Amino acid sequence: MSAMKWLPILLTGCTLAFSATADETCNSPYMSKLIKGQEAYVHVWTLGVEGLGDGFDKLVTINVDPKSKSFGKVVNSVSVGARGEAHHMGFTDDRRYLWAGGLSNNQIYVFDVGANPAKPKLVKTISDLGAKSGFVGPHTFYAMPGRMLIGTLSNTKDSGGRTGMVVYNNKGEFVAKYDLPTGDIGGVMGDGYGYDVAINPSKNALLTSSFTGIDNYRRPLGDVVADAAAMKRFGNTMVLWDLKAMKPQQIFAVPGSPLEIRWSLVPGDNWAITATALTSKLWLIKQDSVGKWQAKDVGTIGDPAKIPLPVDISIRADAKGLWVNTFSDGMTRYFDLTNPEQPKETYAKQTGKQVNMISQSWDGKRVYITSSLLERWDKGGADNEQFLRAFAWDGKELKPIFEVDFTKEKLGRAHHMKFS
Amino acid sequence: MQAHAPSMQFVPPAPGTYQLQRIQRAPDAVLKDARDRQRRLGTLTRGKVTLLTFFYTYCVDEWGCPFAYRTMLGLRERLTERGHAGRVRFVSISFDPTNDTPEVLRRYSGNLKAETGLAWEFLTARNMVELLPLLEDFGQDVNIEKDAKGQPTRTINHMLKLFLIDRNGTVREIYALDYLHPAMMVNDIETLLMEENAAPVGVLRR
Repeated sequence: MSAMKWLPILLTGCTLAFSATADETCNSPYMSKLIKGQEAYVHVWTLGVEGLGDGFDKLVTINVDPKSKSFGKVVNSVSVGARGEAHHMGFTDDRRYLWAGGLSNNQIYVFDVGANPAKPKLVKTISDLGAKSGFVGPHTFYAMPGRMLIGTLSNTKDSGGRTGMVVYNNKGEFVAKYDLPTGDIGGVMGDGYGYDVAINPSKNALLTSSFTGIDNYRRPLGDVVADAAAMKRFGNTMVLWDLKAMKPQQIFAVPGSPLEIRWSLVPGDNWAITATALTSKLWLIKQDSVGKWQAKDVGTIGDPAKIPLPVDISIRADAKGLWVNTFSDGMTRYFDLTNPEQPKETYAKQTGKQVNMISQSWDGKRVYITSSLLERWDKGGADNEQFLRAFAWDGKELKPIFEVDFTKEKLGRAHHMKFS
Repeated sequence: MQAHAPSMQFVPPAPGTYQLQRIQRAPDAVLKDARDRQRRLGTLTRGKVTLLTFFYTYCVDEWGCPFAYRTMLGLRERLTERGHAGRVRFVSISFDPTNDTPEVLRRYSGNLKAETGLAWEFLTARNMVELLPLLEDFGQDVNIEKDAKGQPTRTINHMLKLFLIDRNGTVREIYALDYLHPAMMVNDIETLLMEENAAPVGVLRR
C-alpha cells in the first residue's frame, strides 16, 4: 500500500481526507486538511480562574507563524461566559469547527475556526449531553464523517467513573450513546470507565481507555491520593470495539488508568500505544501473529514509585518516536519507538514546574507544551505555572522559541491545544 | 497511478448483525435532472436505499470525484449481481450548476441507467444560491480554489463524502475516503434492506 494513503493532501482537484492521526498526529483519521507545513495558530482551550481576567473559560488563539509580526502573541480570546473546567477539544471532519468540552458544566462549545482561524467565533453551545445520554464529563472529541464521537468520564446517576461514548451529528443533534462494558469479555471484567477514544479505519477498530469519575477529578488531588477507597475508583482497562457495529470485542487489563491513545500512522502497522497515569507505564496494543489483539506492558516512564503522572503523549507521524509529559515532575521525555515492543527513553528535560499537554507539528520540528491538568489537581503557589511554551526540536535538544504566560496575560489555566 | 480502495484489513460484520446510526434527515431541495426536468430531491431520497454524493464533471483528482465514480460503478455491479438493483438508487449532484448543465450531465452520465436497472440520477441546481443551503444541510464543505492573484480557478475543493440514506430519508452512514470499503458498503446497504423487510413502508424511524 502506498504511503500516500496516510497523507492528507491537497491535489489539483478535490481536498480529501486521508488517514492520519499526528497532533497534528492526534487528530481523527477522518479529518481533512492536516497541516504538514508551518502551523499559523495554536488554539488553547483555557480554564477560567476566579479573579483572573473575566474568570471564564476561553479559547485563546496564539500566532505561531515566525513570519508574522504577532508571532508568539495572543491574537484572540473568546470567552464562553462560564467557568466549567475547560478540558479537551477536537475538530469536525472538515476542520471547519472546533468542539470543546467543559468537564464540570458538561457544556459543549462549538467554535467556527474555518472562516477566520485568527478570530474563532462561538457559534453554538450544546447543553443536552447529560439529559440525552446519562453521561457527563465530555472529554475526547473525535471526528467521524459528518459527526462527532465523544468519550466521556462520568455519569448523571452517581458521578462515578461508569460512563460511555456519545455521538452527535455535525449540526449538534444527539445521535447515539454507547455504554462502556461492565461485564466479562474474554475473561476480563470491564469497569465501565472511559477517557480517550481512537480509531483505526483499516482495522475497523476503536480503542477506548479509562480514567475516573467526577467524584475524583473534581476533588483536590491530595485528597484523592490520601483516600484509599477513592484510589480504587480509577479505570484499569482498555476496550477494543468493532467500530462499524459499535460493539465491544475485547477488554484488556491495563492497570493504573490508561489515558491518551495513539495509533501508529504507518500503513500496515497494527498497533497503538498508551501511557498509564498511576502506574507510569507504556502499554502496547498490538495484533499477534494470528491477528488477535494483545495488550502488553512495554516500558516504564520515570520512577513509578514517585508517581510522575504521565498525562499526555504525542506520537511522531512515522511512529518512530513518542513524547511523554509527566505532570508531577514537569518532565518532557522522548522515547525511541523504532521497536514499539521496547521503547527506549533517549531524552528528558524539565519543561515546567507542572506540565500537561504536548503537541508536535507534523514534521516533528516544533513541540508545544501547556501546564494545566485539572482545576483542582494543578499545583499551588509558585509551582502553579500556567503557560504555553513552544520549543524547537532538532532530534537532540528542545530549544525554547517563545512562551505565553497565561497568568500574566490574565487568561487562566492553559490546557488542550489545536493547530490551524 | 489509479486510485484504489483504501486498505481494509478486517472481515466486515455480516449484514443485519449491527445497526447503522440515524445521523440526520436528508435535506430537500428543488434540482434539475439530466433531462432538464425539475426534481424534488426529497422524492429521490425516499422509497429506496440511496447512495448520494456531490461531484463536478471536470474534476480530475484521482482521489476525488473520479474515484467516487469508479467506486459507485463497482458497487452498482455488486448490488445488481445480488439482486438489489430495484431497491437501491444512486444520486450524484453537481457542485457547479454553471458548468454542469443538464446537457453536460447527460453527456457525462451516458446510458448508465440502461445498463443494469439500478437508477442513477445526475442532478444539478438551478444556481449556486439554491445549492449552497443544500450543501450546508448535508454538511458538505466546498470552496473554490483561488490562484495567486486571488482569482477563482476551476478547482473545487471539497471533502469526499458519500451519504447512505434509508428509504425513509434518514442518513445512516457517511463514507469519507478512509471508509470507502466496497465490501463494507454492500453490507451496510443490505443491513438497511433487511430493516425494510422488518418494517412497513412509510414508517419513519429516527
